[in-house]
Amino acid sequence: MAIVPEAARAASGAGRQGRPRRRSALGRSRARAGLTLIIPAVVLVGALIIVPIGQAVYYSMTNWNGLTSQWIGPSTYAALFRNPTFWRVLENNGLLLLSVPVAIAIPLGIAAMLHEHVWGWRIFRSLIFLPTAISWVVIGMVAVQIFALNGTLNAMLGAVGLRFLEHDFLGQPNTALLAVAATFVWSMVGTNTIIFLTGMSTIDPGIYEAAQLDGAGRLAVFTRITIPLLKRYFQFSFVITLITAFTALFSLIFIMTGGGPDYGTTTVEFFVYQQAFNVGQFGTGAMLGVVLFVIIFGVSLAQLRLLRGDH
Amino acid sequence: MPAPVRRPAASARVRTGHFGRRLARALTRDPGKVAMFLALLLVTIVMLYPFEYMVVNSLRSEPQYLLQRGFSLSSWPALFSALPVGQELLNSTLIATAAILVILVCSSAAGFAFAKLAFRARGLVLLAVIGCMMVPVQSIIIPEYVNFANLHLINTYLSAILIYAALGTPFATFLMTAYFRGLPDELVEAALCDGLSYRQTFRRIALPLAKPALVTVTVLQFIQIWDDFLVGLLFLQEPTNRTITVGLGTLSSGHVVSVPVLMAGSLLSALPAVVVYLFFQRYLISGLTLGVAR
Repeated sequence: MAIVPEAARAASGAGRQGRPRRRSALGRSRARAGLTLIIPAVVLVGALIIVPIGQAVYYSMTNWNGLTSQWIGPSTYAALFRNPTFWRVLENNGLLLLSVPVAIAIPLGIAAMLHEHVWGWRIFRSLIFLPTAISWVVIGMVAVQIFALNGTLNAMLGAVGLRFLEHDFLGQPNTALLAVAATFVWSMVGTNTIIFLTGMSTIDPGIYEAAQLDGAGRLAVFTRITIPLLKRYFQFSFVITLITAFTALFSLIFIMTGGGPDYGTTTVEFFVYQQAFNVGQFGTGAMLGVVLFVIIFGVSLAQLRLLRGDH
Repeated sequence: MPAPVRRPAASARVRTGHFGRRLARALTRDPGKVAMFLALLLVTIVMLYPFEYMVVNSLRSEPQYLLQRGFSLSSWPALFSALPVGQELLNSTLIATAAILVILVCSSAAGFAFAKLAFRARGLVLLAVIGCMMVPVQSIIIPEYVNFANLHLINTYLSAILIYAALGTPFATFLMTAYFRGLPDELVEAALCDGLSYRQTFRRIALPLAKPALVTVTVLQFIQIWDDFLVGLLFLQEPTNRTITVGLGTLSSGHVVSVPVLMAGSLLSALPAVVVYLFFQRYLISGLTLGVAR
């Protein structure tokens, strides 16, 4: 994900590299071979991604229930934007976004420590990245146990004398959303740490040595040298984290809270599923899917703009 | 960089064995590094806590779990009677393998064409294919569901295989295109001079060279498909055809199963992906960072 700028660069680079020589026989046979080789991918992606997106846009303007549909028109969107539940759900997305900076800052710190190559850092790196291999379902299963009334978190609070903070975290909308956000932050640690660590390994060690000779301390080196040089990596990790927050938490929410209590943890992506497969409002579900697509598309486009500004 | 002056600190003389001496020396020379070591140790414990939780509690019976004391193996047979685990592991394996094969065929062929064979509108088609990475599953899942229902393909392996393949192909194509672009053009030209056709060049020359990229795609997609829930939840609803992750997810929503059994199931479902991760870490990381590394 989040590769749109690369896609654009790839596309613009394509013309440079071997412009089609239209008149030569060799060029023609090359073009024919090229077109044949892309057929499987184009058919697959066209039939199962591009066509359904078109269908979703069409059905979003109908009162589709999966079997029959009646054309209503763009006014369905106006109705959606007047629906208070929709705003409630969107607000949950907004609140989840507040955790994005945390999901970037913590891994940045971890990466900085790993980059100091302390004793055993390779093992730490492997183990910290390990949870990226496990499914949201499994993560959710354990998270439920941690945040449960008789779970780990409450036991820990009790043990350190904070008994008054003990809580049925998943039983109330605010704390349930907080629990989902915390679990989301935890599961982004591996990915973002690796992104920043990769970025740090591209920085010339000579720069650090020069700074140290000039008497710069560890913190100064980090804030004045490392962070500015990691700009691209910040953008990449930001977009990945944002897209994950918007589109990858369905299973986590399904397992942890089922969207509740009382829409408290229902995000747009979860609302899509609920409207279509619990309520039977396929048209509304399709419309929410389109809204989600527009949001992600906007984020990607904004990132593209930012990167273009660089060059 | 000048080496830090070693101070003969008092703590270095404490006799606590080899490790103790090293620690003491490190503490006096660079307390910052020791603090970082301890912080990383703490982070690692937090990151591994779920694994510890799953292992420990899957080895308890329900009463032992409630007391958080004692161990037994009784939850494991209970898991096997609550879920057709063997069948589900088989389903996961079959579906992931088939989808990955489709992805490898589609993305390597298309990647080679996009990188090495000029044709009209090549850039535009490439942009359209890899732009599909930006489409969230939730945006297309409803039309997809109805289309497959109309074809009577819900609850068949085929539906899940095709959807996973379509969802994985854009990123895989991006990766393969980038990889083939790194191979020299002369390689293709030499093969053509030797009388190979373009397709033979692809199959006999380019494809064998692309092994690292093919492994990266395989590993990334295996973990992605193995861990997926939403597609399986909708398209594989029967206990006989659903994947292990879906089986586990639906088990929990029933709220009747004991926690130790759930933890045994979680552990079992996570294990294959973790093993793949441990063996192919390098490829996973290279796939993840490809987006920015260039």
